[in-house]
Amino acid sequence: MTAPLIELEKVCKTYNQGQLNEVKALHDVSLAIEPGVMVCLQGASGSGKSTLLSIIGCVFPPTSGRAAIAGKQLARMPDRFLTIHRRNTIGFIFQHFNILPGLTVLENITLPLMPLGIAPRARKERAERLMGMLSISHRANFPARQISGGELQRVAIARALINDPPIILADEPTAHLDHTLSLAFMEIMQELQRAGKTIILTSHDALITQHPAVERIIAIQDGEIHVP
Amino acid sequence: MSFEKQLNIIDYSLSSIWRRRVKSMGVMVVFAAVIFLLASFQMTTKALTNVARDTLVSAPEITVQKMRAGRQESIPVAYQTELVSIRGIKTITPRIWGYYFHETKGANLTILGLDPQSMPFGQDLGQAIDSGRLPNEHEAVLGQGAYAYLSSPGSAMFSLFRPDLTLKALTVSGTFKASTDLLTYDTLFMSLADAQDLFLMPEGMVTDLCVTVANPTEVPTISKKIAALLPDTRVVTRQQIQKTYQAVFGWRSGFASICLLTALASFIIFAWDKASGLTPEEKKEISILKIIGWQTSDVLALRFWEGLIVSTVSFLVGYTLAYVHVAFFEAGLFRPILIGWSVLHPALRLLPTIDLGETLLVLCLTVVPYLAATVIPAWRSAIIPADSALN
Amino acid sequence: MFLNSWSVALSLLSLVVLILSAIAARTAISVLRYWDPASDSNRQIRLENETWLSSTLVQYAMGFQVLSLILFVLAADNFSKVISGAMCATGSLTANQYGMFVLFVKMLGAFCCGFWIVLHFLDISSERYPLLKTKYVALMCLLPLLLVDIVCQTLYIANLKPDIITSCCAVVFGEGGGNDGNLLGSMPQGLLLEVFYGTALLLAILGHFLYRRLNRLLLWLNGLVWLAFIGVSFVAITTVFSSYVYAMPYHHCPFCILKPEYHYIGFAIYGTMLPAGFFGLAAALVGVIPARYGLAEVVRRFQKKAVLWSSILLTLFVIVVSYHYVLYRFVGGEGS
Ligand SMILES: Nc1ncnc2c1ncn2[C@@H]1O[C@H](COP(=O)(O)OP(=O)(O)OP(=O)(O)O)[C@@H](O)[C@H]1O
Ligand SMILES: [Mg+2]
Repeated sequence: MTAPLIELEKVCKTYNQGQLNEVKALHDVSLAIEPGVMVCLQGASGSGKSTLLSIIGCVFPPTSGRAAIAGKQLARMPDRFLTIHRRNTIGFIFQHFNILPGLTVLENITLPLMPLGIAPRARKERAERLMGMLSISHRANFPARQISGGELQRVAIARALINDPPIILADEPTAHLDHTLSLAFMEIMQELQRAGKTIILTSHDALITQHPAVERIIAIQDGEIHVP
Repeated sequence: MSFEKQLNIIDYSLSSIWRRRVKSMGVMVVFAAVIFLLASFQMTTKALTNVARDTLVSAPEITVQKMRAGRQESIPVAYQTELVSIRGIKTITPRIWGYYFHETKGANLTILGLDPQSMPFGQDLGQAIDSGRLPNEHEAVLGQGAYAYLSSPGSAMFSLFRPDLTLKALTVSGTFKASTDLLTYDTLFMSLADAQDLFLMPEGMVTDLCVTVANPTEVPTISKKIAALLPDTRVVTRQQIQKTYQAVFGWRSGFASICLLTALASFIIFAWDKASGLTPEEKKEISILKIIGWQTSDVLALRFWEGLIVSTVSFLVGYTLAYVHVAFFEAGLFRPILIGWSVLHPALRLLPTIDLGETLLVLCLTVVPYLAATVIPAWRSAIIPADSALN
Repeated sequence: MFLNSWSVALSLLSLVVLILSAIAARTAISVLRYWDPASDSNRQIRLENETWLSSTLVQYAMGFQVLSLILFVLAADNFSKVISGAMCATGSLTANQYGMFVLFVKMLGAFCCGFWIVLHFLDISSERYPLLKTKYVALMCLLPLLLVDIVCQTLYIANLKPDIITSCCAVVFGEGGGNDGNLLGSMPQGLLLEVFYGTALLLAILGHFLYRRLNRLLLWLNGLVWLAFIGVSFVAITTVFSSYVYAMPYHHCPFCILKPEYHYIGFAIYGTMLPAGFFGLAAALVGVIPARYGLAEVVRRFQKKAVLWSSILLTLFVIVVSYHYVLYRFVGGEGS
């Protein structure tokens, strides 16, 4: 058995700690995820899926407990170092893709490389390879607001992959896609998994939860891992 | 690496300004206008002081005036005999310097009366004359403005009223060069006797005595000696006149800067408002940038570069317009305030000089407050949490 | 003499610097009181955000402080056209007892802001932010310095009396030109130059050794020599080098070299000398950070870079400052 890539131990996350509007979003979550698997987080709205995904994605550290992501302990790590770790290890795909509409496709894809100090030419080279792989090269210089939903999705995937992170996180990626696009998305994810990426999705979409590529489903209820 | 990173961030801030061009243009136009006002004022002042300095070069090193009851009155020419004993004095020239109010034109003219022959700087005055020659009996050399007022077509003659309302006729013997306009524009230059006659001054009385000195470094000592010998006089040195001009211009421009600072203040409030009113799209943009790996400091740098680019562009536009305004439109907006010691405004050509100091001064008065005012809004946008991109 | 654009700009600039650092210092108070890295409370999150604000503010303040230093010297030159007896910046800076002091405080202020920024960048290179408290105590100490700056500057401007013609008394005239005096009495030029070039050489050698192998004692020595060298340089520029720039043997002014007549060479001179001194001093100062903070590696890297930069800038400085002198001495003639 390989060592887990993601290891959470009694992770709690409390929003607005010590205040009247305190929310205990996660409570004593412990789990381990090996590299190269595809996992789906499943749960009702407000159960804490996004919160858990944020902790795995190094967006914020847990309030208490231990979280080791790709060999690094996140416990109370300052934001600056979380960000450094995040950009090296995590690729995010969002529900609404979160593509900046005013920028071109190419600019959107290379956005994560800018603060790394990578020169424009090198940025473009990397993006072109990915765009070729995802067959959106012909849209490279289109403003993002002018392209179709399916293309937008592949732009989002390209942006998540641009820094070649070992972990891909997708929060409700298919919530706004029709059946064929959702299937196409899962196909790409499957390919990425074959290429060795660890993929974690959240969804209530049966198409994802019942997809043959999804090896493991983690059910969350009221901020706790639900063992059926 | 860090350098490359900054280049990338500058790249992004340029595109960001371009994407929000309506908003950025609004800020830039107002900012450029504020800079234009301040820079025009500064350049006008500077150009005027330069003109004053250049023209004062021909002024006498020391001027002696008689004072009574704290006011200036006529000085007897005979006083010069007292001064002869002071070593180091080259020449003493009696002069009449006064004003003549031309009632029909409603203009104030400057009358300068001295004997060109006895003047060491008669030469200089000669050089300032554009056409014609130095005045003889019943003749006068006129500044450009005075000429325009007094000359009548087809005749070189004109008349002025004496205080007792009798007429004194004079002939135009020449005009002063336009380049000396600041000091000669409204001037009539005539012989001492004619000036005495025009003002009906008693024989042997003039307004002041001009003293030239052989060695300029002795000016202070000689002034002190003159003051000691003639206790009822005021001794003014050229350097002092220069400093007075400078101070007066300095006051005016300082006063103007303070007034214009209110314009600046309202702009700063406007800029603050523009910078802090983040639209939901802008908030979304920042949270996306942050979640895909931009640091808070990178967003701060982004905002800094945006501010710097906006202010640099505004500065260049405002400063260039100010130069054009002063150099080619003769600072039309400000001249009345800045000159205004005579009703006749010299239509002189102002040549603003661009030097680092003046530029830096305007920069500090405008760009610095703008940048300072945008720090906190910039920070507010930079701390938008990354996880808001997830919801 | 507040009614003058230069006075207005100087006061505005100092006020901006003071306000920015006061806002930064406000954060310092809450950080010193409530900082708790183990907490996930909103207050802690807010404090973490505020540390970004304060460091940004100090960086702006430092930029403006440098501007204010330059503006002060240029303003002094402009004041000399108005006040009695002054022919150039030296004259107006010595017109009352505050001038030179303000200049010194401004320089010190810029240096201190710079040191603070160094401290900040060392601090944020560790996940534990080990220098956090030190940093904010230092920030609180910076504030009084900036306060002294603005107060003395205001006093300086208030005590400048423009020399204008008045009608109230019989004799009014300034002390006259030529009593600008020299900032420093005359000194044996030869000896001074030997000391100047000797110190520069010593610094170059120290820099060379330090770049190859950092040594704590040597770093301190280097820092001290730099401190001395800054002083020696000022004296040498004032009494020797400047007059070669002006091509006037009796004009010894360290400020006129900043004027356009001399192609702004002063900016190149001070723009290399002061940063060089800054890096030389900073390399020594960061040495006091105890090893237990776990910053040893970053400190070492910074020291190496600082030593390198101070050596490069030192070389440039010596070349620029000697240019006119060498031209006059060895090529002959007035120089360009
Ligand atoms: N920034 C926040 N501040 C305060 N409370 C929050 C914040 N984000 C989430 N919560 C709360 O934490 C709980 C878990 O939220 P989370 O977004 O993780 O749920 P989710 O499972 O992703 O729900 P959905 O399916 O609707 O996206 C919810 O009760 C939510 O209201
Ligand atoms: Mg969610």
